[in-house]
Amino acid sequence: MQRLRFPKLPPDLVPEPTPPAAPPAALALLVGRREFLKGLGAVLLALTSPFTRLRRVYAAARGRFFTADELDTLEALCERILPADGDPGARDLGAATYIEGLLTAFDRPVPLIFAGGPFSDRNPFPDNATGTPSRKRPRDAFLRFIRLTPWQQLRWQAELFGSDHVTGAAFNDVAAGGPLPGLRQIYRDGLKTVDDAARSMAGAPYAKLSSLQQDAILTLLDRTVFKPDPRRGTSFVDLLIQHTLEGCFSVPEYGGNRDGRGWALLGLEGDDQPLGYSIFSLAKDGYNERPDHPMSTPNPDEVGGPRALSADGERIQQSIIMLATAISKFFGE
Amino acid sequence: MAQDDVLGNRALRHFDVCVIGSGAGGGTAAYVLTHDDIRHQNVLVLEAGPNPFRGLDREPHQPLPFPFHGNDELKYAVRGYIQQDPFLEPRTFRVDDTSEATLAGDVNSLPKAVGGAFQHADCKTPRFNAVDFRLKTAMDALIAANPGLLVKGFNDEPANFADWPLSYDELEPFYAEAESLYGVQGLAGDNVFESQRSRAYPMPPGVPMYFALRLADGARRVTLPGYGPLRPHTYPAAINSRFYGDRPPCVDCGLCSGFGCPNNSKGSPAVTTLRRALLSGRCLLRFNATAIRLVNDGGHVSAVEYVDGAGGRQQATASAFILAASAIESARLCLLSPTPSGAVLGNSSGQLGQNLMFHLQSTVSGFLPERVHGERGRAVTHGISDFRGVAPGGEEIRLFATDGGQRVALGGICEFGASQGLPITEDGDIYAFQLPGPLGARMGAPLKNVLRDQALGQHLFGLVMQAEDAPQRTNRVDLDPRYVDAHGLPASRVTYQSHAYELETRKFYLPIMKQIIQQAGAKGFTVDAETVYALVRPRDALLGLAPTSRHIMGTLRMGPEGTSSVVNPAGRFHDVDNLYACDGSVFPTSSGYNPTLTIIAVALKIAHGIVGTQPSG
Repeated sequence: MQRLRFPKLPPDLVPEPTPPAAPPAALALLVGRREFLKGLGAVLLALTSPFTRLRRVYAAARGRFFTADELDTLEALCERILPADGDPGARDLGAATYIEGLLTAFDRPVPLIFAGGPFSDRNPFPDNATGTPSRKRPRDAFLRFIRLTPWQQLRWQAELFGSDHVTGAAFNDVAAGGPLPGLRQIYRDGLKTVDDAARSMAGAPYAKLSSLQQDAILTLLDRTVFKPDPRRGTSFVDLLIQHTLEGCFSVPEYGGNRDGRGWALLGLEGDDQPLGYSIFSLAKDGYNERPDHPMSTPNPDEVGGPRALSADGERIQQSIIMLATAISKFFGE
Repeated sequence: MAQDDVLGNRALRHFDVCVIGSGAGGGTAAYVLTHDDIRHQNVLVLEAGPNPFRGLDREPHQPLPFPFHGNDELKYAVRGYIQQDPFLEPRTFRVDDTSEATLAGDVNSLPKAVGGAFQHADCKTPRFNAVDFRLKTAMDALIAANPGLLVKGFNDEPANFADWPLSYDELEPFYAEAESLYGVQGLAGDNVFESQRSRAYPMPPGVPMYFALRLADGARRVTLPGYGPLRPHTYPAAINSRFYGDRPPCVDCGLCSGFGCPNNSKGSPAVTTLRRALLSGRCLLRFNATAIRLVNDGGHVSAVEYVDGAGGRQQATASAFILAASAIESARLCLLSPTPSGAVLGNSSGQLGQNLMFHLQSTVSGFLPERVHGERGRAVTHGISDFRGVAPGGEEIRLFATDGGQRVALGGICEFGASQGLPITEDGDIYAFQLPGPLGARMGAPLKNVLRDQALGQHLFGLVMQAEDAPQRTNRVDLDPRYVDAHGLPASRVTYQSHAYELETRKFYLPIMKQIIQQAGAKGFTVDAETVYALVRPRDALLGLAPTSRHIMGTLRMGPEGTSSVVNPAGRFHDVDNLYACDGSVFPTSSGYNPTLTIIAVALKIAHGIVGTQPSG
């Protein structure tokens, strides 16, 4: 079992006074160490109730992996990783749908691992006679997922179900000090831990808590309970963040990044074949650039001056400069 | 298995040559061996990876169909669609013999698929310099002529340098043939350091990238000590800038380095040489077929054992065998093939697997205040070759006057680069995982804000120098005693570290690289040295971790003597009468340029030598 260490909680973790209807306990419990310890013990010892098992069967029958409660928890977690503001957050972008698609990849005749090619239907073909976009669009070939080779199947089944649950996948389990844990079980266990922690510490399922409470619990569990798995090198929260990013910014055919709105919030076009950014013109025996997305000149909206970065953006760039300097000094350069 | 993992002429039963690997070396060799109507061989190609292409062996009465590649970050950068899989085929890594090798994820792995690793590259194709092929002789002469000149790797802390057993002039017709076969864009004369060429580039350079023009301007304002301003140039690449054969021009879609090309405008082996071999009627290609042993009597190979796509063990016979699985895998196949006496096949020199070279990549980066939009373009459109440390024409080594006296500095070509627009694997990964604690943005509003800013992805730009890596016998590949692959065979163990030759050179050029960034208008500062490199790609050899240069050379070095090299100048093993190598493994030295065009040229020379044909004029 993981060794638990509890950090001193920063004062800003104490919750805002909640509306009268909410139970007064909430996160105040977090401040009392003994109660917290008790709650956490309950989290770790809690057993799956038969009732939950029933709901799981029901979910599987609908082609789902998560029960409705698990999905609520997952969606709430993803949303805390990439929250909605003026732009859509992970919930709007379908991150949880993406994650469920990954975990149930093998429930389909062709597993949802590698999208097809060459093109989606998001962009037109170039017209090389004139060097302009044509009106012709390809069909979305990304939707036709690629059949896996038996080796790829072995690899991805081990990823999802665990190397000790897939015939022929345990070949390095002894040398590596243990099996590769499967993502499905990691999610089952992780979501349960989060939800149990929420119930013990705040008296309600995670999905029902305020975003402030959710942030506090996620941060706390990230720092204390969820440790990197030795074989994977990643913790449950690491995977959750990774998969939320994937679910928000991968090509929409995998189930997330709804309507490409994840890319839009980044100011990126996303997949841009077959049009691309420069269009060859047979008429002039040379290329035309797209005026709205030029290749060799600054963006049209930045000719007069750059777009401003957020405070966080500036801070990250400064972080990198700081680390850069430190690393350079370390190498004596 | 309903799968039919075969391309080419299925009626062929008997093979003159079996080529192991279908990439730049193997695809090229297969083409030459099957091409000539009089002098030709029947060829079997074994490819370990899957086939991401459509219609490669279909008659070319219409344009080649587009492949299964797509602009899809998840498929390539996260899930490794055609990458050697670190779970199925792990590699271990250590810096020296005293440390224990550990599973290190990606240890300079190259893609495994029909057409090989070049399809995954952005297909940069500079040639090596003329002096590279006789570097040992030239350096020894320079040292003799300049008393007091100390050169790390030569007369100080000597490495295992050796001349190539062929000259640039001998290789030049094959370079020209390679550029024509693969369709290289470039501008003759643009790079003054390039050695003499007999033919112009087949196509002119395509559209330049904005940040590359900024860097080129910056470079022109920087002086190389004693030799005047730097001379940036367009970067040669096997990417169409015109319709070329039946392949269309590049659309500069951006996802180039690390991605397969969706419209076949990258001249990867599958859509150029390999396809021609498959259309000749003299070639059969089996994919998902992993060679695991060369059946041999110590001096002759009679068959190759391979695992097919369904996991069954098969044998294929041929009169001759060509290793072209890339330097690490070609060496590993020899290591997995004991002779009847229990020795390693082909290792009478004792150097098989040694002299492994990667190029020492050094990155200097800065932030531009405006968006650099590196997602538009071919990854790299410009570079500088001044840091190769040779005179214009590439025939002579340059001497630099420094406070400490004269010195040489043989680095390598510098690529001008920026992010290709990878929010999951670059921006997101760095903010959430790689920047420690409070310096990063693990989740929530801060993560969203920096992602929206694209604080790195749209603002970072820089230079990467591909510096020459000295051959060292201690840098090598052998078999790991603990870890195995999915077939139960020992994994490759890579032992590698950088040495004084390349580290000193890097120190010499880093300050000049920083000046370029500053002159290009980087916002207030430069991120120097390993900085971003260590952050973006934390497996730097300098940090004791496995490099990811993707430039893999050595292990089966070519030379005139069987005592100090593995293959002879014809590419044949000195001590195995029907076994050849024609990939990066045969390189005696690594030069300071992207190696693929030279791999192709050497493969052309070896294969033409086998059938007795000449390069096409």
